[in-house]
Amino acid sequence: MSGSMDIAEIERLLYDEADCLDRADLDAWIELYTDDGTYWMPVMPDQESPVDHISLFYDDRVLMEVRRRNMNHPRSPSKEYPIRCSHIIANVRVTEEAADACTVTSNFHCLMFYNDKQTMFGGRYTHELVRQQDRLMIRHKRVDLINCDAALNSLIIYL
Amino acid sequence: MHYSNEQIAELVQPTRLHKNVYIDPDVFDLEMQRIWGNAWIYIGHDSQVANAGDYITLNYGKMPVVMVRDRNEQVHVLHNRCGHKGAKVVDQPCGRVGAFRCCYHGWTFKLDGTLAGVPHLSGYEGTGFDKSDPQYSMQKITSASHRGFVFATLNPNPPDLRTWMGGAADVMDNLCDRAPEGEIEAAGGVLRYEHECNWKLFLENLNDTMHPMIVHQSVVDSAVDYIKTLPEDSPRRDEAEIIPPFGASYEVFEATGITGFKYGHHYDGGKTSIHSNYSVDPDYEKAMIDAYGPERTREILTFNTHNTLYYPSLTIKSAIQNIRVVRPVAVDRTIIETWSFRLKGAPESMLRRTLLYSRLINANGSMVGPDDLTAYFRVQQGLQSSGSDWVEMHRNFGRDEDLGDRLKNTGTSDLDMRTQYAAWKHYMMEVA
Repeated sequence: MSGSMDIAEIERLLYDEADCLDRADLDAWIELYTDDGTYWMPVMPDQESPVDHISLFYDDRVLMEVRRRNMNHPRSPSKEYPIRCSHIIANVRVTEEAADACTVTSNFHCLMFYNDKQTMFGGRYTHELVRQQDRLMIRHKRVDLINCDAALNSLIIYL
Repeated sequence: MHYSNEQIAELVQPTRLHKNVYIDPDVFDLEMQRIWGNAWIYIGHDSQVANAGDYITLNYGKMPVVMVRDRNEQVHVLHNRCGHKGAKVVDQPCGRVGAFRCCYHGWTFKLDGTLAGVPHLSGYEGTGFDKSDPQYSMQKITSASHRGFVFATLNPNPPDLRTWMGGAADVMDNLCDRAPEGEIEAAGGVLRYEHECNWKLFLENLNDTMHPMIVHQSVVDSAVDYIKTLPEDSPRRDEAEIIPPFGASYEVFEATGITGFKYGHHYDGGKTSIHSNYSVDPDYEKAMIDAYGPERTREILTFNTHNTLYYPSLTIKSAIQNIRVVRPVAVDRTIIETWSFRLKGAPESMLRRTLLYSRLINANGSMVGPDDLTAYFRVQQGLQSSGSDWVEMHRNFGRDEDLGDRLKNTGTSDLDMRTQYAAWKHYMMEVA
């Protein structure tokens, strides 16, 4: 790989993010995103727009900040159950690269235990990464679930 | 168990409901037969089948059906069942065809469901098989529409759709009148959300204004806390108008009022609702005034309701332009669909706000819907208890104001429950 992006560094960031989500630690997770960072989970395969079509999630920093506080609030009925996840990320590939930015796709499986039920999620991540003040950060993450258009149950945490 | 009319009547009493209403699979089967079999059930919006041959598929109760537009602009609701061996004919959620063709033996059907072709027909000669007999077609279900909203019913003698809707039709009219061109169209896709609870728990929550400040306290606190950290001159965000009203006081909800109608329909709001303090996009306001004049525009935009239920299958938010559709699956499993609508002639910002609302409040990944669902799920679990057989609904009992075609009470009353269960009893007691 050429340029300033090192695959090991990229993978380390993806694993760090997965680790925050495994522990449902949104305080640490949000620090991995740039101030203009966004998180998107479309409801259709190949969905083009997060704002002209309904999505399962589309959060910018403002909604991430609200969600982070909500996750830690003692009075959210859906957060009364522990959320335990185990993410596995593989097939990490850099698909676009510029001087201080790159786009990375990967496959993921996430096993989630929540409210006495174990659920398997899987699909593809697309991360847009950018180097800011010497640190690789996430500017955009797109999560394409393979069953995004199924009648899913509640999604309590980012995947 | 088998339920006699007397036993059904016992389940629904003026101020309490028997738990079997929610947890007995036999009650659920009866509901599918008698409520889903007799009420007008929402199928879809005719903008979803804008051109000849356009179709959508869905389940009507437990039955697969297809809504399709034929070459004469007529919209039909058909049983999605081949007249031959009963195979489901159409299996895509939506699409466009010239005719329907069964994947099994190639029987074909016209867009109005009529059987068109049977391969190797000679084998039927002299067997008594009559190709023109409607039983071999994809049979029609009685359907009717109001402002593009298509309903169907299995009732052989249904009340006229408009009569059945009663005063609740005002809200559907208001939703469409909010379009400068007076018409709306489905846009921005559908969100399907599995609810592990009885379908009625979702309906009962629509005008339950005693829960938001409890169930949604966390998201309201979180949004308000975060907004406080922002500088004064931060740009206006729709989220800041949409989320906080869910934490409004009992007094605010009390003042919105609930209005109930025959056949189980009801809405909360009218003059005020949790949507009434939203900013109005100046471009939208201008388009409205150009179309309707200032007086009528004011009239349309100040009729402000929150949720309106067309019992049992459709609930709409006129002020937000989204709808939710109830598709029961089993006694403890329901699919809720959220659809958003474009106001024809309005700036795209209006559709974007609708989609933002659907995503913030109704989506599986939102911070509102999952907390509601947890509460329904807990009711479904708790009702297994033998601690009591009854669920209570006393709030403001005996104080419903009877205005002839409608009942009114304060926004925190259980008038919505009483309205729904009067209809439930009406349908469930009616033996075909």
